[in-house]
Amino acid sequence: MPNEFHGQVIALLPRLRVQALALTRNRAAADDLVQDAVANALAAQNSFTPGTNFPAWMHRILRNRFISTLRKQRETTDIEDVPASAFAVSATHEDRLILKELGNAVNRLPADQREALFMVVLQGMSYEDVAEATGCAVGTAKSRVFRARRQLQTWLTGEESAEATTPENRTGENRYTGRPAASGMRRMSGKSGVGEHHLLA
Amino acid sequence: MDMDSSDSSKPAPSPRPARRKAERKDGDAFDLWLQRGLHQLYDDVAAEPIPPELLRLIEEDRTRRGK
Repeated sequence: MPNEFHGQVIALLPRLRVQALALTRNRAAADDLVQDAVANALAAQNSFTPGTNFPAWMHRILRNRFISTLRKQRETTDIEDVPASAFAVSATHEDRLILKELGNAVNRLPADQREALFMVVLQGMSYEDVAEATGCAVGTAKSRVFRARRQLQTWLTGEESAEATTPENRTGENRYTGRPAASGMRRMSGKSGVGEHHLLA
Repeated sequence: MDMDSSDSSKPAPSPRPARRKAERKDGDAFDLWLQRGLHQLYDDVAAEPIPPELLRLIEEDRTRRGK
């Protein structure tokens, strides 16, 4: 069913774009990656079994394409993008700052964690689908999302460990509902944490 | 009755369950905030129009295979 296949590709493009951004952290590179992945998928469409999980199949192609590009480039100039919405005029100044810090923190997560986090939180994918798309065990997918969330919480609230504090003894400045702690952000900025090597391993 | 031995056999009430509960609640609140923040950051990216050259690539393939 060629028509159905092409319709599925088009319907999935917005999600692929976000997923590509999760991997590349760069808008231009994400657009190139989606284009390349779609070209690969069109060439390989006969290998897709209708009725099976198309999003997982497509995400796998995108991911493999990213990994092979990464292997070729290995050392690239890394321009990290924070989406333009972080600078949207509708948000208050403080909201913009927090969003920008969140975007920067997300960009510093290891790529496999960022990828799994986006799949679950933004795309609403199940852990089973994440596991299928990324070629890992379901438990690994869960663990990646869990670690991503806790790492972001640590960075953005300035806490090293969730066990160390309770909501009652936090200051307002350290709460994620307010301004993320500068100390946490300083710690964060010192880490590269990009973690593409996780994907190459 | 040996009060001492019965007392020592019972573990002292631990503050851990209450702390864990608070941490979990805290983590859940952060997760909700994170979900909202990620959507604010990335929903615009997903909503952007598809580049025409990409659509053309797909449509050309569809036409070619439909023949």
